Amino acid sequence: MKETIKNTTVADRLLFLFLISISIAGIFISRDALSHNPDVVIEMDGKPAYTLPLYADRLLSVDGPYGDTLIEIKEGKVRVKEPHCPNQLCAKEGWISKGVIVCLPNKLVIIVGGSKKDQQPGLDAITG
Amino acid sequence: MQLQDKRRIAILSAYALALHGFESLLPTPIPWFKPGLANIITLVALILYGFRTALMVTLIRVVLASIFLGTFLGPAFILSAGGGIASVVAMGLTIKAFKNIFGAVGISLIGALFHNIAQLSLAYFLFIQRLEPVLIISPLILLIGALTGVVNGIISDILIKNLLKKDREKIQNTGV
Repeated sequence: MKETIKNTTVADRLLFLFLISISIAGIFISRDALSHNPDVVIEMDGKPAYTLPLYADRLLSVDGPYGDTLIEIKEGKVRVKEPHCPNQLCAKEGWISKGVIVCLPNKLVIIVGGSKKDQQPGLDAITG
Repeated sequence: MQLQDKRRIAILSAYALALHGFESLLPTPIPWFKPGLANIITLVALILYGFRTALMVTLIRVVLASIFLGTFLGPAFILSAGGGIASVVAMGLTIKAFKNIFGAVGISLIGALFHNIAQLSLAYFLFIQRLEPVLIISPLILLIGALTGVVNGIISDILIKNLLKKDREKIQNTGV
């Protein structure tokens, strides 16, 4: 076996190093690219109404029983800018980059970076 | 096809089938971790007896193994066949195009790489159809493939050298 390892060609070794480094880099790149792209999910009345990227700034107005609520997405953070509800707890929560803002009177839930595992079905089959 | 070729293909297929069956009995700590032991036989067939023998051995192995394991024409069979054929073709082309640049280990690595590429693309186009899970799994599978590819290549190299040595001894004995 030692002899075999010694007898490998330069191309063999380069190919091995190339494959190992590419796949290790790939593990980090794919993990990085997928985990840093959380979505903002806005649920109204218990149903998902909007799914927006967290890294695209925008203002959004949603309708509720107590009137419009203005939601602001900016630089990877979300807040409720102008609520029209009795105690305005949602606005007091301020900017969040992860977690949930709830406005009970307006039946509004804003979820940032929800766990993707819940949305994705696992593998269907494994080869035998 | 000569009788000797047929006999060779039969024996090699039997070995490959046994390894394939043995591998399917092994517990897999990670779901996609399969050492691909049958590729050892494919590689030996390819280097010693040429592309057609290796392709025949792979086809026979894939079809018979799937019948024995009860996966014939199912998703696992399609993935297994696609990976097997892709790796034989890639290894055959590598030997033809880069003669003497790659040794058995390098060719085994090429085979493992194309086996995985074919399986991942088949899985994506036919079954999963979502890019995200495939992208997450791909690098991990390729890493495991590179490691098992080296091990298989080393085993193949030792096998090939021993087979050639025996052949030479036989020729010497009959010569005397």
